[in-house]
Amino acid sequence: MMDAPDRPSPGSVPAEGSLLAKPVDRRRALTVLAGAAVAGVQALSACRPASAVTDEEREVKLLAWREYIKGNYRYMTEAERAETIARLERQAMLQRGSAVTIQSTGAQPGVVFGYAFNISKCKGFRSCVEACINENNLDRNADTQYIRIFEIEDGVVDLDHADASFQHEVPAEGHFYLGTQCFQCADPPCVKVCPVGATWQEPDGITVIDYDWCIGCRYCMAACPYWARRFNWSAPEVPVPELNTNQHYLGNRARKTGVVEKCTFCIHRTRQGRLPACAEACPTGARVFGNLLDPDSEIRWVLEHKRVFRLKEDLKTEPRFWYFSD
Amino acid sequence: MHLKPFLTSALRSATSGGARYHVWMGLLTLVMLAGAWAYSIQLRFGLGVTGLSDHVSWGLYISNFTFLVGLAAAAMMLVLPAYVFDDVDFGRAVLIAEGVAVAALVMCLLFVIVDIGNPLAAWHLTPGIGYLNWPRSLLAWDVLVLNGYLALNLAIPFYILYSHYRGARPERKKYLPWMYIAVMWAVSIHLVTAFLLAGLPARPYWNTALLGPRFLASAFTAGPAFVIVLLWVIRRETRFPVAEGAIRKLAVITTVAAQINLVMLLSELFYKFYSPTHHGINARYLFFGLEGHHALVPWIWTAIALNVVATAGLMIHPLRRNIRWLIPACVVLFVSIWIEKGIGLVIPGFVPSPLGEIVEYVPTLVELGVTAGVWATGLFVLTALVKVAIPIELGEVRSPLAQEPQPARVIRPRAARPRYDDDRPVRIR
Amino acid sequence: MRTSGGRPVLPASLALWLLTACVPSGQSETGGPGPGPQGAGEPAAIVAPRNDSLEPGTLGSVRAIPVEGWTGPGGRPFEVAVRTRDRESGHARRFGTVTLRTTLRGPTPDLVQYPCTSCHLGRTVAMKDTRIGDAHQNIQPRHPSLLGAVCSTCHSPDAVDMLALRTGDRVGLDQGYRLCAQCHFAQAEAWANGGHGKRMDGWQGRRVVMGCSDCHDPHRPAPLPRIPFRAPTILRNGGHE
Repeated sequence: MMDAPDRPSPGSVPAEGSLLAKPVDRRRALTVLAGAAVAGVQALSACRPASAVTDEEREVKLLAWREYIKGNYRYMTEAERAETIARLERQAMLQRGSAVTIQSTGAQPGVVFGYAFNISKCKGFRSCVEACINENNLDRNADTQYIRIFEIEDGVVDLDHADASFQHEVPAEGHFYLGTQCFQCADPPCVKVCPVGATWQEPDGITVIDYDWCIGCRYCMAACPYWARRFNWSAPEVPVPELNTNQHYLGNRARKTGVVEKCTFCIHRTRQGRLPACAEACPTGARVFGNLLDPDSEIRWVLEHKRVFRLKEDLKTEPRFWYFSD
Repeated sequence: MHLKPFLTSALRSATSGGARYHVWMGLLTLVMLAGAWAYSIQLRFGLGVTGLSDHVSWGLYISNFTFLVGLAAAAMMLVLPAYVFDDVDFGRAVLIAEGVAVAALVMCLLFVIVDIGNPLAAWHLTPGIGYLNWPRSLLAWDVLVLNGYLALNLAIPFYILYSHYRGARPERKKYLPWMYIAVMWAVSIHLVTAFLLAGLPARPYWNTALLGPRFLASAFTAGPAFVIVLLWVIRRETRFPVAEGAIRKLAVITTVAAQINLVMLLSELFYKFYSPTHHGINARYLFFGLEGHHALVPWIWTAIALNVVATAGLMIHPLRRNIRWLIPACVVLFVSIWIEKGIGLVIPGFVPSPLGEIVEYVPTLVELGVTAGVWATGLFVLTALVKVAIPIELGEVRSPLAQEPQPARVIRPRAARPRYDDDRPVRIR
Repeated sequence: MRTSGGRPVLPASLALWLLTACVPSGQSETGGPGPGPQGAGEPAAIVAPRNDSLEPGTLGSVRAIPVEGWTGPGGRPFEVAVRTRDRESGHARRFGTVTLRTTLRGPTPDLVQYPCTSCHLGRTVAMKDTRIGDAHQNIQPRHPSLLGAVCSTCHSPDAVDMLALRTGDRVGLDQGYRLCAQCHFAQAEAWANGGHGKRMDGWQGRRVVMGCSDCHDPHRPAPLPRIPFRAPTILRNGGHE
């Protein structure tokens, strides 16, 4: 069963040292030919290399390549950031003909965002959910929703007995409503566990994700105590007429399959001084948003004058999202 | 200079064999191809083709990964008595065990690759060109320790086999320090994997100090059980001598580890069920179902029943020493640990979700196909490694450039009729 | 059956090919079944934004008057927005060039639309319009009647275009907050400081808030129930559609 040790087979004709002097085994030749044939088929197949047909196709491939090899946005220089944004805007134009503006606005100095949610005023309308979906270009196929509104029976603040799938006239008798989303924790467990550093917290308190750096391991999703993160299990789709073209690199720009995303307090709006879409859309005024570092802000007034609580306080994640009642 | 002949003869060893060998490898190849095709579907359409969801974001792939890290770790822990105490009985078995470690690690790495959503971006993990969030992220630790362990488990056996192939004697001072390191590293790979789950306060089911020790105990149970079965197969199929003492010692290790595992399980059950706190809700889902959702209940009870029965059987000396009972007991134990550690650990951690929502998980055909493909790859690698190692160890394959083969420590092939009769029960001393 | 040399070469190459073959890109960015690009470089028509959100600079078109008697947190003065007074504004909450959908009110007639003096001339009610049967029938106060208040508690007969405070002062409808605050002083305090009500623009800069009756119908102030936006898709058995 064991072949003879590696020795040249007797009777080989060509001269010593020439290429033809190498003993060619029939089996080996067939192996090499078969392998070469398969490799050739692959090369000629759908994976067409640099010989793309049109200029536009070539540009698309070049943009895709440059986007693939870029580094982590957090450690890019200003020039690199400008370049990647230009590429992304160009990609959006080429792929769907939509002219988007992707901001790279940094955090305002002296600003840390805080959010307060009034559980007396929330009536479960879910206007915030609708506004969020439109504002953040959330996947319509999977019906991704960053915000979750729970209907809870009076008398207990226990999410184990909460129902988020209510679909009846609200508010329902004997119940109150409580909404969750990413709380932009001050000590975020998701940031700690990311193996590639694709998610980090910005100076204004928003925990952001570089979607192009994320490898999709979903460790952050396991680590989040508030179920704030969503994964793109399939290619996200937004109909072009509904696309929000006012985007931020770290926020509501186009995401792709296999990466994680989450609420960013509408970073493309709040860094310009505007309210997040959920706060603006709420008809009852249950959502209060502002700068925690400004002692004269509404959010600070609420924290100082109302009885506030946070979810899972014992986990010491220090969420920047408080609940209060009238 | 012996390298090229070593590699070509290794390739020849791995690709030649009897009919049963070819059928086995052919079957594995078919399953690997099916798995590759299933994975291509997953690449095309995204992870949405699996049964995973935002609620249960880790499933069959990470379950298998967790289990196989244990297998890889345990295989190496058998090395300690062999090399350090120069136990002759174990010496032969250890190379086989290292092959198991390599195969298990290959499977681990493959399961991670098929699980991540953006595999082309995996280079982001490379320190230097990418960014590795070490030391804060336990997953970064895992990347480092698993790859380091793989390197160790490739280098050490390679050195030993290559030395034997050359007809030389492997120098203890060259490989023994690495062996010490490898044993400690083996413990660390499984502790790191346990810590990456236990360090999440968001998941009370995993957030317990006992998770790391439980992992080690179950690894020590399933690992030697697997090696026992493998050695038995090798003893039947090849002329490689497997000492009865090696199998006996492995059986004792498995039994003691299984007992410790059961004690730890009891401890966890008490902690989770004695007081009905929020910390026990995932366990309630697993063992009794929650609000009408009970998909995992039959699985976990089956696993525990099998575990208890197998452990009890192994505790009876005459049964454990009888190969006819030992092999089925090891298989049953292996399967029960796989269910308990795979299905019974990762998935209940997600049900209910941190906000109390219950979404169950059922793997799809694509997921099962990819899983089967990865397992087939691991078994393929294992078989190939064993097929390469055995002739070298038996002295049947030597480098054509070697000097006279050194007679010292050459292994005598087993005689046609085995010295230990598998059919006759061994008397208790 | 033995292959050449027993090596599973072709299957292995096939496996390699399958793994590395370029699959059609499932990694598409957002977009999809919408219309394709109309020629290179021409953007598709984008319809009006879905949120009735205030674009930067729109606040300039909103008329707002300073709030008297209350200050915001830190003693900062703030303003209350004034609804556009035109008959065509309908039931909408129109402020300047912006129409906000944030309302708790039902389809009751806009108070601004109701020119009281078209019927009430001086102290005596002289009906100019003969449809006397229509007068005030649609207003069924739920609000003050529980406390024993009647129409004239808030509406003085001798100044029907204004609101009557307990002190005897008269204030315009733009300063309705002063009336509500007489009883709802706790809510007024919260309203002034941001814990109640809606702010018109962003969290930063000039603070313009909505007045009480912009959300609450004074005659029936409780928010009306409604059917909520759709519930999330929670597939109990996991997986996807």
